[in-house]
Amino acid sequence: MSRPTIARQPAVEPAFPFTAIVGQDEMKLCLLLNVIDPRIGGVLVMGHRGTGKSTTVRALAAVLPSIIRVAGDPYNRAPEDIHDAPPTARANGHAGVSSNTHRLDKLGDRPKPKIERVPVPVIDLPLGATEDRVCGTIDIEQALTRGVKAFEPGLLAQANRGFLYIDEVNLLDDHLVDVLLDVAASGWNVVEREGVSVRHPARFVLVGSGNPEEGDLRPQLLDRFGMHARITTITDLALRVEIVKRRRAFDADPAAFAAAWDREQRALRNRITRAQKAVAGVELPDPVLTRIAQICMHLGIDGHRGELTLARAAAALAAFNHSPRVAWQDVVAVAPACLRHRLRRDPLETVDSDEKIERALQACATEP
Amino acid sequence: MSVSVRQPANPPDALRFNEIVGLDVAKQALLFLAVDPSLAGVALAAATGSGKSTLARAFAALLPDNAPFVELPLNVTEDRLIGGLDLEATLARGERVVEPGLLARAHGGVLYIDGLNLLDPGVAAHVMDAMARGIVQLERDGVSAVHPARFRLIGTFDPGDGAVTGSLLDRIGLIIPFAPQGDAAVRAEVVRRNLRRADTPDAAGDDAMLRALIELAREQLPHVAIRDEQVDALARAALSLGVEGNRVDVFAVKAALASAALAGRADVSDADLEIAARLVLLPRATRSPEPAQVEQKAQPAPNVAPNPDRPDADDPASSPADQKQTPQQIEELLMSAVEADLPADLSNLPFAAQRRGKTGSRGVALNYRRGRFVRAIPGPLRGRKIALLPTLLSAAPWQSLRAASTGGSTGSPLRSASTGSAAGAVVRITRDDIRIKQFRDKAGALFVFVVDASGSMALNRMREAKGATIRLLQNAYVHRDQVSLIAFRGQAAQVLLPPSQSVDRAKRELDVLPTGGGTPLASALLLAWQIVRQTRSRGVEQATLVLMTDGRANVGLGSGQAGPTGASTSSASTGSADAVGADREQIARQIRHLAHRIACDRINAVVIDTQAGYLSRGEARALAGYLNGRYVYLPNAKAHQIAEVI
Repeated sequence: MSRPTIARQPAVEPAFPFTAIVGQDEMKLCLLLNVIDPRIGGVLVMGHRGTGKSTTVRALAAVLPSIIRVAGDPYNRAPEDIHDAPPTARANGHAGVSSNTHRLDKLGDRPKPKIERVPVPVIDLPLGATEDRVCGTIDIEQALTRGVKAFEPGLLAQANRGFLYIDEVNLLDDHLVDVLLDVAASGWNVVEREGVSVRHPARFVLVGSGNPEEGDLRPQLLDRFGMHARITTITDLALRVEIVKRRRAFDADPAAFAAAWDREQRALRNRITRAQKAVAGVELPDPVLTRIAQICMHLGIDGHRGELTLARAAAALAAFNHSPRVAWQDVVAVAPACLRHRLRRDPLETVDSDEKIERALQACATEP
Repeated sequence: MSVSVRQPANPPDALRFNEIVGLDVAKQALLFLAVDPSLAGVALAAATGSGKSTLARAFAALLPDNAPFVELPLNVTEDRLIGGLDLEATLARGERVVEPGLLARAHGGVLYIDGLNLLDPGVAAHVMDAMARGIVQLERDGVSAVHPARFRLIGTFDPGDGAVTGSLLDRIGLIIPFAPQGDAAVRAEVVRRNLRRADTPDAAGDDAMLRALIELAREQLPHVAIRDEQVDALARAALSLGVEGNRVDVFAVKAALASAALAGRADVSDADLEIAARLVLLPRATRSPEPAQVEQKAQPAPNVAPNPDRPDADDPASSPADQKQTPQQIEELLMSAVEADLPADLSNLPFAAQRRGKTGSRGVALNYRRGRFVRAIPGPLRGRKIALLPTLLSAAPWQSLRAASTGGSTGSPLRSASTGSAAGAVVRITRDDIRIKQFRDKAGALFVFVVDASGSMALNRMREAKGATIRLLQNAYVHRDQVSLIAFRGQAAQVLLPPSQSVDRAKRELDVLPTGGGTPLASALLLAWQIVRQTRSRGVEQATLVLMTDGRANVGLGSGQAGPTGASTSSASTGSADAVGADREQIARQIRHLAHRIACDRINAVVIDTQAGYLSRGEARALAGYLNGRYVYLPNAKAHQIAEVI
């Protein structure tokens, strides 16, 4: 196996429980809706420092349901994916290398692969990551010890069918942004480097967070995110006191704190699982769909990504609330997060984008 | 600065913690940090030579178990910082060997950064990430590893040298925002103690005592209780000082608890709250407490329910009857004790200063020639700099393969290295292996000079304005910044010079600039904003507007232009002719909106007021206010003085 010599996850202390996070409801909802329907297209969380952005995202992993994958598959592929589209892998160039040294081909040949249940991956793309580790590259250890050229999958492979989280996304190097845009658009990661040629699925929910004061996001990247959650400092005193209490309790004994929240965590996980199953069957009534289109027209949003995201997010919310069909208030609830980063910027505009969306919603609600 | 090394303890001839005088508040903060590492760090404002490095080392010596002391050089490379492949060991052992970076080596000890505000933003981001997660995640050069990295950060900054990145400072619990006063008596004492070193054997005893004190406080810490209304009061104080974020409440409470623990108490006193507010909240203030707050307090306090939803186990009899204070009362006490420490000019505080957008960081761009070496990428050499280590690294795994197939039966011929020496001893490098260096360079900044050439300016020292502008242009050239020139007169503003580095052209344009006509200030602001945005999309982040005007706008944007986006109004130089009739109210509103937008986009602004004093009605000063920028009164200022301001 081409595992790194140092384990990826040492004994990390349990993360702060998702359900114990105080406030910041919009961010939490956006994340959950993306779990229910990954096609929503990810979440960008922008807000003040010290408001729990990364704590919340990292807490998400613990409430995610599991997925079924081919046992040991570094790309987290479902059994049906393997039959449909075996990743092409071919090593070329150097003597002593033949294609059958590649694990991928072996997997692809197997008629009935063993399967296993694993948690939905939440992969951190850390600052300073290099392209070779993000996309994957030759396994240097195998090359050294056995003289073979094997592909070692990168973070994009690990994130397949899961979440890819980029903290300080606005500080991400430009070349990595290019890679991400490419892969996010196609759902495939194509590696052509160091004489290795691999193509593997890389479908993930992109989650980014950052502080807007540290810099803007490239418009193309901004556009990739399905939803844009905005968070601010909590000013409610009772909530602030509660935050301090929970944080202290967690710091004092993380395991005990996690245990105390276990019931809520499990309840949320079950609710997500049910919603995941239900979301495909959620009905989107024509009048609601028409109004969704009207809002986007009203706000002058280019393209159709706005409508699609809004419709999917509203359906996911309906599923989350055990509702068989999308109601207008589902749309109202998710519209700001789905649309606020798609409005055009106007230098003379004094109206906040949320207020504009609010007005558009009201205008469309009253129209016949 | 030397490359940092792990220093197990204070060197024997170094000053000990208790011998360092004149830094009392700092020492208190460090003791808190010693007691509770989750306070994350101490940031000290200090000019060079005020003994902070000595203090940090002395502090590390107080920590148990030979805690490592790692000094982070400002020019640290990314691989030294977060770690990377140890090529030598990897080749020797035939398996990947990862060398941990400085952040990981500081685990369990002290990370010392001298010059927090001079830290490269990329380096600062790594430090923050490690502080947030307690680990360093390495994903580079074919290596994937996670190292623990829990450290106490001690950082210093010289406030005169520019601000510290806000989010870095935010992660540091305790901040001492002012350098200790250069008290002569204290200085003398420092010198005396330094001289007396040899014959003060009790210093070691002091150290031992302090260590014991810290140990006791650490044991006491879990037993210290803080009342809800005290937490509430700290949160209130944070709110009234305009502190951003909720992390700060946690820091403040922890500081108060550490203070109580050091005093050996089991409950938090007013003094503990006060020191917590002083070290945690006050330095983060972005505004003075509002007078409205006082009125609120005067009203009968509505009983703030202490969270009915989760009655905790540690609750019983938590508030003794004699201490029944409302959070408002506690906060009032707290603020009155601390408020005296608030400087008259809040911009002396690190966070408030940032509100004004004065951070000195300029945009960065990748290139192949100069700057800081960021990474190596494969590619043909073509006169660019080869990254030797990565090249060797990429060639290394193939050596045995290539040696086996000598003669070039492999795809690429063995070129460079195999010529001229014995075949067994050479490193076989092919074209595929070549890695070139990519650098990150300061991309420079954009200066947009916006010069008022209206009729009123002709009266008002146009010559001086031009002189000052040319001076600034030359200054910009020295710094390799880009300049752009906009003039406005008559009906609309006009771009005389799009962003470029040609100062000569700018000068020529200025020389022939005619004056006269109305003052279309709004049009000029719009145009300037558009230019900055365009330039930013090309990677030049830092932008400064220099407005040379008396601020007396009398021509607005065309009424039909208020709606559309920036792109479609790029014809502002030609349109908007019909706006003369727009009333002053309308014009003033446009200017406020545009100025606000410019301020929101973090574009720095300097307004140079050209109006003769007896005529001024303060328009230019008001404009500077809207722009959140600085104001300079030209008649008082010489051109070179203005250059210094900018």
